[in-house]
Amino acid sequence: MKRIALYASLALFVGVLGVSWYTHGTGVVRNDPARRISIPERLTVPLQVQVAHNGTTIFFRYRWPSPRAGIFHDVLRYDGNAWVVRGDAVPGPQPDGLHEDRVSMMVDDGHVPEFGRYGGYITVGRRLAGLSDEVSGREIQAHPYLGQRLALDEATKYLPATRQNLDDWAATVPEPDQQALVAAGYFLDLWHWRAHRSNPVGVADDQFVGAGRLSDSGRGPYATNWDAARRQPRLMLDRARVGRSALNWDDIVQGRVGQDDVYYLREDQAVPFDAAASWRTGDTIPRRILRSSQGSRADIAVSGRARWADGFWDVTLSRRMDTGNPREDKIFTDRGIYQVAFAIHREATGGRWHYVSLPFTLGLGRSAEIEAARFEGETPNWQQRPANVTLFYPGQVNWPLVNSTRHAGAPNVRAGVPVRYRHSEDQLAHYGIEMEFNEAIQRQWRLTILGGLLLIAAFGFALNALLRRQGA
Amino acid sequence: MGPYHAVVVHFPIALLTTATLVIALRAFSDGALARSTDRALVPLLALGVLSGAAAFAIGLMVWPLEAIFSSPLGRNHILAAAWTLAYWALLLATRWIQGPAVWDGFTRWVMLGLAILGGLLLAITGALGGHLMGTPTAASEGLRLLGWEIYTTYYVPDTTLALIAAAVLVLLALGWWGRRARAAV
Repeated sequence: MKRIALYASLALFVGVLGVSWYTHGTGVVRNDPARRISIPERLTVPLQVQVAHNGTTIFFRYRWPSPRAGIFHDVLRYDGNAWVVRGDAVPGPQPDGLHEDRVSMMVDDGHVPEFGRYGGYITVGRRLAGLSDEVSGREIQAHPYLGQRLALDEATKYLPATRQNLDDWAATVPEPDQQALVAAGYFLDLWHWRAHRSNPVGVADDQFVGAGRLSDSGRGPYATNWDAARRQPRLMLDRARVGRSALNWDDIVQGRVGQDDVYYLREDQAVPFDAAASWRTGDTIPRRILRSSQGSRADIAVSGRARWADGFWDVTLSRRMDTGNPREDKIFTDRGIYQVAFAIHREATGGRWHYVSLPFTLGLGRSAEIEAARFEGETPNWQQRPANVTLFYPGQVNWPLVNSTRHAGAPNVRAGVPVRYRHSEDQLAHYGIEMEFNEAIQRQWRLTILGGLLLIAAFGFALNALLRRQGA
Repeated sequence: MGPYHAVVVHFPIALLTTATLVIALRAFSDGALARSTDRALVPLLALGVLSGAAAFAIGLMVWPLEAIFSSPLGRNHILAAAWTLAYWALLLATRWIQGPAVWDGFTRWVMLGLAILGGLLLAITGALGGHLMGTPTAASEGLRLLGWEIYTTYYVPDTTLALIAAAVLVLLALGWWGRRARAAV
């Protein structure tokens, strides 16, 4: 009988260990819209990058997988009585697929040394838009510098030295100091291609990151198609030019409108909105008016056609190496070394629900992780092998946290040890998610340790009580 | 304290690995060598557990607790170390209490099974520690293949915790019954 009890104890101990192994890691991590948490199924995505220049123009070619061409952004849908905005940003994928695909790239020329070591992490301050504890748009708009001077309406990326206190998004250094920082080259150039809001007019948005995510001077490639006073679109498609006044909602959400169709509202293909037209339920007009961008903001062009095919986007952007705007753009020179980091949005996500890369060095005629090929003529032939970049979902990890006592590697960061020395992209993706549930995971982990210790102790008690003692 | 942890941790690894080999030898052999080495088993296990406890304590001082408790890999290392220490303490107690009789009959295979499990726990703890210090090994990949992504914290859901609690109660009841049965003989 005791032997049976002994076997039962052994079986119970091993069985519970088996159940623990089988169920571990479940029960805590889950999507939680209330906390603005949405975790993608894939944590890493590959990106291929090629760079070429001819001495005056530099070309970047990006290729990455995307299950579908995300060419739509937010729209105005007629519901039978009124025009309603559809496609507002949500945590994770927009349910109707109404968020555009994007590729973006931050560039530095060595003036922001932390960027070359930690990439975009340095731009993520506490309480940025999309984080679980995001600061409200009203607070940003009320801020004397960020809101009233720079016209920001949400907490965007910024560089650490633009704040007096690393932990406080609002503690901006005085404006003269901000300008001095920019004059000293302390900003990141930001190339920002959008499948809906910039691609149809053949450009990528030209922006930069300093005190916030700001746009270069000039006019951007899109405006909002909404007449707030009349609660209706400002423009509609020009039937004479494109054959219809509006798109159809069902065609959009069921993917029947493709890249070769007019899926956008371009200024030169639009006419003033006619409220008296016989609108039908489901008529849909893009909420963005596309137009030619101007000034420094128009520096980056789409080279050829950016296309999605067979599950991949293939996008090539070009820009003059010297734009003449050294306070808004990083100027490329032959034999120069630069630092770059990439990001994509796919599967109808916006905001922080992107995939990002660690920083890479870019060499123009210099040895680097990504080497630009020199070519003669107008367009590169792309003979060189692409650089393979691993993009990862970054979760919620901010720069103050990276520098805090909650990060074991903070002393290494202070010593200038690059992120790549201790972390892989895969690791950072998992860590970023675990940080979103840090308190809940810690609680469950403590209970798991305790449960295991009690199980071992109880098993030891049973084992020794059921075994024959020496001399017994 | 990192370098000191790295120094001290060699002792439990060496002692408990040796103990595993001694148990394996004794499980398969009743020869003179096996019996001789078995006589050193309790001191080996005792030193292994004591040095393991020292390594555990020093390990908790390598980084601020707030930092190591926030790191998935750090959490995993602590969990594996705590369980390993407790598990080998169980083996020590068993060999100490049961004496040489533990090698009689079927129980020698129980000891062998427990030692193999203890050796695995020890190897996992060491591999995670090495990974944490920046020197990952193929063991990390092996754990992934077995279903544990070591960049995620090892924890179990509430239902499994409830199952563990129930198992603890059943084991205590079996132990209590065993003691009473023995006392009655």
